[in-house]
Amino acid sequence: MVNHEAHEAAADERVMFGFWVYLMTDLLLFSVLFASYSVLHGNTVGGPTGRDLFTLPLALQETILLLTSSFTCGLGLLAARSNKKWQTLICFGITFILGALFLSLEMKEFTEFIHSGQTLQTNAFLSSFFVLVGTHGLHITSGLLWMGVTMGYILKRGLNKALVRKLALLSLFWHFLDIVWIFIFTIVYLGAFA
Amino acid sequence: MSTPAPHGMSEQKTLTSYVVGFLLSLSFTLMPYYLVVTHRVAGTSLLITILTFAMVQLLVQVIFFLHLGRGASSQANIYFFVGTFVAMLVVVVGSIVIISNLHSNMTSLDQTKRIIDSEGIYQVSGELTGACRGHYPNHRVTIENGKVTPLLTIATKCDTLTFIDNDIVNVAITFGPHIHHTSYAGLDILSVPKAHTKTITLSQTGTFLFHDHTRPEVKGSFAVVDAN
Amino acid sequence: MKEFFLGRLTQDSLPHDWVTVGGTGTFIAMFLFAALILTRTKRWKWLWNDWLTSVDPKKIGIMYFLTAAFMLIRGGIDVILMWVQQALSSGSSHGILSADHYQQIFTAHGNIMVFFVAMGFIFGLINYIVPLQIGARDLASPLLNTLGFWLYIGGVVMVNMFFVLGGQYAATGWLAVAPLSGIAFSPGTGVDYWIWSLQISGIGTTLGAINFIMTILKMRAPGMTIWKMPLFTWGSLFSMLMAVAVFPLLTATLFLQFFDRYFGAHFFTALGGGDPMMYTNLIWMWGHPEVYILMLPAFGIFSEVVATFSRKPIASYTANVLGMAGVSALALSVWLHHFFTMGASADVNAFFGLITLVIAIPTAVLFFTWIATMHRGLIRFDTPMLWFLGFVTIFTIGGVSGLILAFPPADFQLHNSLFLVAHFHSNVIGGVLFGIFAGISYWFPKFTGFRLNERIGRNAFWCWIIGFCLSFVPMYILGIMGATRRLDHYDAQTGYQPFFILMLIGGLVIAVGVGLQIIQIVASIIQKGNLRDATGDPWNGRTLEWATASPPAFYNFTVIPHVITRDAFLDMKRLGLPEPHYEDITMPKNTAVGIYIAALAFLVGFAFVWHINWLAVVAMIGIIIVFVIRAFNEDSEYVVTAEEVKSIEEARIAATAAITKKSGAMSEQEDMSVREFVIYVYDFAIDIIRNKKWKSW
Repeated sequence: MVNHEAHEAAADERVMFGFWVYLMTDLLLFSVLFASYSVLHGNTVGGPTGRDLFTLPLALQETILLLTSSFTCGLGLLAARSNKKWQTLICFGITFILGALFLSLEMKEFTEFIHSGQTLQTNAFLSSFFVLVGTHGLHITSGLLWMGVTMGYILKRGLNKALVRKLALLSLFWHFLDIVWIFIFTIVYLGAFA
Repeated sequence: MSTPAPHGMSEQKTLTSYVVGFLLSLSFTLMPYYLVVTHRVAGTSLLITILTFAMVQLLVQVIFFLHLGRGASSQANIYFFVGTFVAMLVVVVGSIVIISNLHSNMTSLDQTKRIIDSEGIYQVSGELTGACRGHYPNHRVTIENGKVTPLLTIATKCDTLTFIDNDIVNVAITFGPHIHHTSYAGLDILSVPKAHTKTITLSQTGTFLFHDHTRPEVKGSFAVVDAN
Repeated sequence: MKEFFLGRLTQDSLPHDWVTVGGTGTFIAMFLFAALILTRTKRWKWLWNDWLTSVDPKKIGIMYFLTAAFMLIRGGIDVILMWVQQALSSGSSHGILSADHYQQIFTAHGNIMVFFVAMGFIFGLINYIVPLQIGARDLASPLLNTLGFWLYIGGVVMVNMFFVLGGQYAATGWLAVAPLSGIAFSPGTGVDYWIWSLQISGIGTTLGAINFIMTILKMRAPGMTIWKMPLFTWGSLFSMLMAVAVFPLLTATLFLQFFDRYFGAHFFTALGGGDPMMYTNLIWMWGHPEVYILMLPAFGIFSEVVATFSRKPIASYTANVLGMAGVSALALSVWLHHFFTMGASADVNAFFGLITLVIAIPTAVLFFTWIATMHRGLIRFDTPMLWFLGFVTIFTIGGVSGLILAFPPADFQLHNSLFLVAHFHSNVIGGVLFGIFAGISYWFPKFTGFRLNERIGRNAFWCWIIGFCLSFVPMYILGIMGATRRLDHYDAQTGYQPFFILMLIGGLVIAVGVGLQIIQIVASIIQKGNLRDATGDPWNGRTLEWATASPPAFYNFTVIPHVITRDAFLDMKRLGLPEPHYEDITMPKNTAVGIYIAALAFLVGFAFVWHINWLAVVAMIGIIIVFVIRAFNEDSEYVVTAEEVKSIEEARIAATAAITKKSGAMSEQEDMSVREFVIYVYDFAIDIIRNKKWKSW
């Protein structure tokens, strides 16, 4: 049985490491989107620039929502490791709500742009903006989905080792998305006004 | 980094690290925001400042949230993180530098034409792309004793044009009016050493002036028309 | 309504050109034939349970080989078609193919050879050999491995899909450079097939690479520090590190191109402010390292081969590893040399030209370690060693022509010419393909339990070398004469035709070589009693893979070995093999999740090619559901008890002893020659017809 536990611990460590490598590949995927945005953000073909379109307070709200969710996500993992089921669920519940709020603000911004005729097809600047920010939003969506399903399983099965491991991976993913957002906030939103 | 068993860190310490990380991140978000809104700094220096804040916040989150550097597989994780960071810089900075460098020498239109030419694909799904292929008639322009013959060459698109330098000096062919040169099909300058020849493909239509850059009075022109 | 359900798929999409109809017929005939055999022998269940859903890297490796070999022949037929066209299409003759067809064929040829032949073989070899070399029972994530493999298959099917459902393949060259691949120039389905074929297999490659990095870094046998790893494992590690660094770039770039084509975005279309050069820039950031991703495992194979067949340890192991590290690092930073002529200023060109030249230094270090290994070695000239020597010759030619191209001024003259094509092929055929052949003939006994026929192997090798020189030396000359690449027709006065005819003859000689390789395998199967490898160590090997049986049991090692030095198995042989003792082994269960996800991913791609939006959405939701179900399945392993292991091992030892006894009598007999093979097949056929044996089928 000792053998079996050692086997599991080694497997755990490998999964954490492999997931870390996966996150790095995801970061490289984002680097292409950042590169395209940096190269193309001036090509508006006479249309409005980022300075005309973006509202900084909204971007700040989004940033703070995501940062706070990253914090509560960490607290949730801490609770999970101490085997406190309800504390875990509450922390991740708050994280989920904050993430969903973030996503709704982003959707609101996107729909406003689209209603004013500023779409993906308008020019290279908007293409790269929508795809960069949208890809981040898609990651947030999949993170929320993952969080929802995991919380469902915690409710059903209680906190077991396998689920704590999943929460550890999830929190890694969530922190990682916050880091990507720092750069979107800085380069896309603040950068437009610099 | 956070693994199921928090390696070498008590619960209390982990909690503290989350709180510290959160507060630091919050301030590193608000400070650049304040700078941008109030326009205390401007231009490139502002851009550099806010990027620096972003980098610092990156470090804060990596240390206080991701706990990189703690745990069993920490070293490999750090290597991968640093490697990825370098690769990202190469991708982003490399792209910005390369594209701006390319554009300082060639317009997008010239580049598109040259891509089409150099990919050698003159038609896709039966539609012509504008690239030349195969062999077409050749025209010659001779430069001898500071004289260009003939002064005007009329050619069809995709023909070739050969410059023959029979002079006693080397010739550097440039296009458009002197000093404010233009380029021809992406070509800025064509040097023809004395007693040598150089051939170009006439892939761009229109009428063009050319002259020897060192002797602007040695000049001529050519016109390229579409085949049909 | 019809458009909603079927998108742009109509009756016109069915194949109607002679080439595609022929292809479709062949594919359907082969599929039916295979289905017939499986049904007659009642093996569908066996195929599904033992192979398709298997997570055993050895079986997945074999499946990679079979697919890649099949695609090698498919891509080879493309070459012959192209070269026939070029040999004939001079002056008033226009050859056998239309210009559009010719373009589709060279595009498909490039994609198939790089993604589905070279990548397939390399991943197959890594799958099979790396776990054995590092003394592991399995990969870090068996699930990711089967998923990666099935995504690769999804890409294979997608690249051949236009045969079945018509439409067209991309006519834009293997990297589909913008703006040619944009919707304005390529409105058909061709580029969409290209995008999704690469996208699906590319994601598979990224996942596979993550898995191998985890495996190599975290699952080595006790005692095997990183500086004691075998060199093939090193080469694979570097290759996989490069893959995780650049394949995400490909994924992102393809998505951007997809957004341009499908949603009308403006990343690479100059009209909306996009930048075609950005595409060239991004695609080469991936495209250049991609070739090295293929090359580094091949370097590793050569290191293993040269050490084993010179019966010496590799000379300066550290220099060899550092050489590979240098090649990998530099390969990531030279991409601009693919577009020297696109307006970069002289200093930028000089910078990238210089880094390109510097790659020659670590490569030369590698070559010197191999030559130094041969020096005073007791060299055996078996076929793996022949492939190595062929590689040294041809790769050097390719490398030197690469150095010429690395000078921007020379590149201005030579880019876009057949000189470039000849350079690239010298490196990928001489390097990657010969490496794969060396690896397969070296490890064939490990895969199957018997050696490959040496005599026919030598014949095949010489056909390849002679055919290669006949086709590519004229190609270098044509390039210097000014022949551009992708030429489907040329003027008679150019004087190109004799050279193109020579190239075709060379191509046919290579085709004979491929035919001989197939004969070699069949002849080896006929003669396998003689060629049996009973010891598991036919070449007096040095590394751990030879410590297992041939072929290895599904758990690879009964006991995980403890490693002391680099030549781990040589040590074990010197110190005396450990007495077998048995323990419980935890193994992963087979799973069909990889097949389901890959099939759904294929459907997503297919739906986007034909604009069937509902199908894309349904398939994506399907992927998520399968993924969630699998992620929360906590029952994915089983335990093989020590008693079971013991009975498996004892049965194997008994079977080997019986074979050794039987084959001992015939061991004097030499390997079959081609002539003997023909006589054998003739007798076999006559026997069937005379004695009416076919009636019993």
